Amino acid sequence: MAETSPLVNVQIDGVWHQFPKGTRVIEACAQLGVYIPRYCYHPKLSSPGNCRMCLIEMGLPRMGPDRKFESGADGKPVINWMPRPQICCAQDVAEGLGVRTSSPLVEECRRGVMEFLLINHPLDCPICDQAGECRLQEFSVEYGRADSRFLEGKVKKPKRVQIGSRVTLDDERCILCSRCIRFCQEIAKDDVLGFTERGGHTILTAHPDKRLENNYSLNTVDICPVGALTSSHFRFEMRVWFLKETKSICTSCATGCNTIIGSREDVIYRQTPRENVAVNSVWMCDYGRLNFEYLTSPERLLEPEIFSGDKLQPADWKTVISHTALQLRHFSGRDIAIVASGRMTNEELWLTARLAQQLNASFIDIVPRKGEGDDILLSQDRNPNTNGAKIMLGLEGTTGASLEAIAASVAEGRIKALVVLGEDPTEFGITVEQLKKLPSFITMNILRNAATAHATAILPSAAYAEKRGSMINGRGRLQRLNRAVRPPGQAREDWEILRDLLQEFTGSNGLGSIEDVFRQMAESLQPLAGLSLSKIGDLGVKVMATPESSATPSPPGEPSDEEFFERPPLHAVK
Amino acid sequence: MASTATKIPAELKRQVDAAIAQYPPERKRSAALPLLHLWQERFGFISDEGINWIADKLELQPINILELVTFYPMLRQKSAGKTHIRVCRTLSCAMAGSYRVMENLYAAAGIARGPNGLHDPFLVSKDGKVSVEFVECLASCGTAPVCMVDDELRENVDPNAVADLFLGRTRVTPESGQGSGLNINSQASPHPLERRLVFKNIGRPDWTTDIDCYLDDGGYQELKKAVTMSRTDILNEVKTSALRGRGGAGFPTGVKWSFIKPDEKKPVYLICNADESEPGTFKDRYIIHQDPHQLLEGVLISCYALNVHTAYIYIRGEFPEGTKILKRAIEEARAKKFLGKNILGSNFDVEVFIHRGAGAYICGEETGLIESLEGKRAYPRIKPPYFPAVLGLYMCPTIVNNVETLCHVKHIIAMGGAEYSRLGRPGNTGTRIVCVSGDVVRPGYFEIEVGAVTMGQLIYEMAGGMKFGRQLRAVVPGGSSAKVLRADERFKLKDKQSDGSTIEREISIDEIPMDFDSLAACGSMAGSGGVIVLDDSRDMVWALNNINEFYAHESCGQCTPCREGALWMKKITDRMLLGGGVMQDPGTLKTVADNIAGRTICAFGEACAWPTQSFVEKFPEDFAARAKKSAPPPLPPEYTPEELIAKGKISTVPLAHDPGWEKAGTAGTI
Repeated sequence: MAETSPLVNVQIDGVWHQFPKGTRVIEACAQLGVYIPRYCYHPKLSSPGNCRMCLIEMGLPRMGPDRKFESGADGKPVINWMPRPQICCAQDVAEGLGVRTSSPLVEECRRGVMEFLLINHPLDCPICDQAGECRLQEFSVEYGRADSRFLEGKVKKPKRVQIGSRVTLDDERCILCSRCIRFCQEIAKDDVLGFTERGGHTILTAHPDKRLENNYSLNTVDICPVGALTSSHFRFEMRVWFLKETKSICTSCATGCNTIIGSREDVIYRQTPRENVAVNSVWMCDYGRLNFEYLTSPERLLEPEIFSGDKLQPADWKTVISHTALQLRHFSGRDIAIVASGRMTNEELWLTARLAQQLNASFIDIVPRKGEGDDILLSQDRNPNTNGAKIMLGLEGTTGASLEAIAASVAEGRIKALVVLGEDPTEFGITVEQLKKLPSFITMNILRNAATAHATAILPSAAYAEKRGSMINGRGRLQRLNRAVRPPGQAREDWEILRDLLQEFTGSNGLGSIEDVFRQMAESLQPLAGLSLSKIGDLGVKVMATPESSATPSPPGEPSDEEFFERPPLHAVK
Repeated sequence: MASTATKIPAELKRQVDAAIAQYPPERKRSAALPLLHLWQERFGFISDEGINWIADKLELQPINILELVTFYPMLRQKSAGKTHIRVCRTLSCAMAGSYRVMENLYAAAGIARGPNGLHDPFLVSKDGKVSVEFVECLASCGTAPVCMVDDELRENVDPNAVADLFLGRTRVTPESGQGSGLNINSQASPHPLERRLVFKNIGRPDWTTDIDCYLDDGGYQELKKAVTMSRTDILNEVKTSALRGRGGAGFPTGVKWSFIKPDEKKPVYLICNADESEPGTFKDRYIIHQDPHQLLEGVLISCYALNVHTAYIYIRGEFPEGTKILKRAIEEARAKKFLGKNILGSNFDVEVFIHRGAGAYICGEETGLIESLEGKRAYPRIKPPYFPAVLGLYMCPTIVNNVETLCHVKHIIAMGGAEYSRLGRPGNTGTRIVCVSGDVVRPGYFEIEVGAVTMGQLIYEMAGGMKFGRQLRAVVPGGSSAKVLRADERFKLKDKQSDGSTIEREISIDEIPMDFDSLAACGSMAGSGGVIVLDDSRDMVWALNNINEFYAHESCGQCTPCREGALWMKKITDRMLLGGGVMQDPGTLKTVADNIAGRTICAFGEACAWPTQSFVEKFPEDFAARAKKSAPPPLPPEYTPEELIAKGKISTVPLAHDPGWEKAGTAGTI
């Protein structure tokens, strides 16, 4: 565990408390449940102290002639209050510091700043995307005026500026807090935003030759406290108060950024990062954030189909499952290969492993998925659950080692039944011609691909936001998916499909819910011992040390997650 | 990226490399402003290509350079005329007729006014020969109205003969000028009430900026003496002298210096603040232009005392001539071994570099200056934690001192701290230069023993009194940010007696001693020593509006209250001058100012709030007369429907200035 800092005594609103040295005053107040309004301050960025919203009263202990604190009747230091209000976003707690968070002066300061911020603000809340989650609106409730004293013309500034391909800027709404500029400098390491002009005419902008195009650009929209920066993708799509928020994780790479999925009526409108200091801090990349459009793709598989009478025909799930099992029963384990996916959940992979065991399949593997990574959040491993797959399927070394052998065996006709879960076999060396010749090619997937037309059974399954389950990210953290929307058509959650298929061979296996699957896993696998889906919680549990070969970066500006890891490291899988 | 269509001349490349070499290798960004100046001097303006080239050269992003080009008004993104004329717009010049100068210049050059009246950033005549720009204070208020014709200052400009400015006919002659026609440069012999120390050589007909002239006069003796002293001894002399900073805040110099730890491991920097730009103040201009070696000697002594090996003189962009003079002085001093390696055989190395600003008042604020010197927008830093003496330039301990302050250091070494402290009054020691401008017969500079001269003596004896038939109405005693004093006000001063008791006495404005503590006791401040005198012909709403426009233009825009409030106050006084004043306006002005003062990162908040607070409070009759309407005018639309913008019905381009000023009468007289 991290070394603990010494404690200092601080008086907040008349009561003495203790805080570790190095705590920001604004955070110390927050720990007591006192939320100090702020615009420019962001806990993960440097403090410029420019918005002046967090002005409070502060004082230092009065010193006696002996250079020691003078004590009052209560034995506590007497505080000399500073005549001027002070910002609390850039000030650390100090021994004997006094803080008043709600005095008449403090209220007056906040009212003053609110008035200043609003005189040139467009007040176009009815058509503003930020409405409902806007700090100006929120603090107006407490510190706003009903009437305006401002009789002058408002400053005109550029509107609807595309400062990048994914971010739209309205300069009239901008309150010049500089959060986005600091984010680009300090987190994204891409210094492309800045202020031009001066004084009341200052505008936020990007240089036309170098716009906001980095893979983290949409985080500026998240941290913009007002409606100045909006997501070009989400803009005007949905009022935020209609969105149902579901806590989940991003499955676009092995980092597994924690997210909130915003959906309404089974449609996802946006995905935003959720704080987890061990995974993604408060950020996520644009690539992962926007990677949910495929859920509503016209290529979605909506009905289970089975090969019958020379062609694929839709049928009900019961028929398709039993016919699928029938196909597999024709072959011995030597003839069967199973290719699963690193995008599947632990529960799905566990059931896949049980099926493989039941069929005594000769091959089982997943398809590795590599891409360019960075040292911010994006992992080179684009499979969200490589570590889970290794544990569940008992894979040693690198994943995908058997794919070549599987392809060769299919080509030679030694494999007669190929089960592909969530992957496209044409992408790992099996040709369409070979697929056509296979006596049995069973595929479970979300979208139609080059291979699906040649399957002998199609099992339409659910995408990450349509199901529950768990995954282990690239740094060994067990995390939870939650269901935000229902799968379309007759698509079903993958674990149910696999369970039903397994039952065709084993008879009733007592797996009534996904919790039952997890329990079964946790009983057999040491890293999951004692855990359950609900015990994983919203922030996950570190279940293994970060593999040395991990291509998954540690989140910027946060302590290493190894510090939180108290469980014994991974041992041999049973 | 570095591929530019324009061929970069070898000479420019050499200058660019030399400019970059002035800063530590890992601090190349500091060279951004110097490079922008070089580019503009060569090509006339900063093109997009220039922005990219400079960004590339300094390993920065183009936005980093664009931020600067739009922050500093002297940098332009389009070509100016063959002759570029900058007319000072600020209070003393406006009172002396600079609005008429501007109007007549437009007419003479055949320039049609733009949408913003006189306030367009700058407009070029059709033939491209002349361009005209209204700028903020040029720090020559004693010879108002003034203009800069390209790099040359023109003083006492005759509004009726402005064509001379660009036709190159004549310089100003005493007969042509309005007012007294007195050229301030001829103000050679000191007034009997003066005590000249720093300004000893200013205005001397036999004086030049050559080092030989300075040496013949006993120059650099104090530096020679200082390098034989210990650092602690010099610091103690400065402490004993009780010298207070002459830049505006009046902070004791010795105390500031003692913040530097004697065993400091990081490099310590000294910055000379030569960004003189507080309206009403024009003292540093004369030191720099006429006695550069005195300043340099003060800088070098201070460097030695503080163990500083690199010092920067941050000079305001509007002093191009002063920049040249100082650069030459540095080379002369280097040749004489006063500067460079092992100066005067003392084993002490020191380099002094000139860094030129580009027209931003906020660079006078020490942390804004440091940011500007680091090649950024001059956004003042928060204190704590960025106290310059701890985390200053390049996050190293830094002392920032005003030009005049550093000159006094030389005299403290010459006289000894104890002797120096006998000048002036206790706690207000030494001499200081007071600049008088506005409605007096003989505006100009006067070096006085601090507190030894009263306001009355200054105005009526030294500055020649009020113009014929006019009465004193108001005085702004310490630069335009100081609170105004009303002529018929009574002030209460507490005089300390020898036995320690105090006696309170009531005095008139004429009796106020010109020192830090007395002016503070009168509710204002000695500030930068710029005294602006207003007579009974002046409309105080007009005067405040002029000051408000200055602060609205100069606010850096970082903190909410100052950015929004300064522009709001200016818009209110604009409207009042145009006849749209409503009864609520004086009250609104006051509360807006109250909401700025003390709530911002730097003292600019106070600087822009104090004029409004004091003018409204002390001249209620002027404000009431212009705030008679009861019903507010119709409200502006609450928001701009997007389709109006799409159809081009609403301009989305920010206005550099709002129109309306000039309709109030060119000289602001009622």
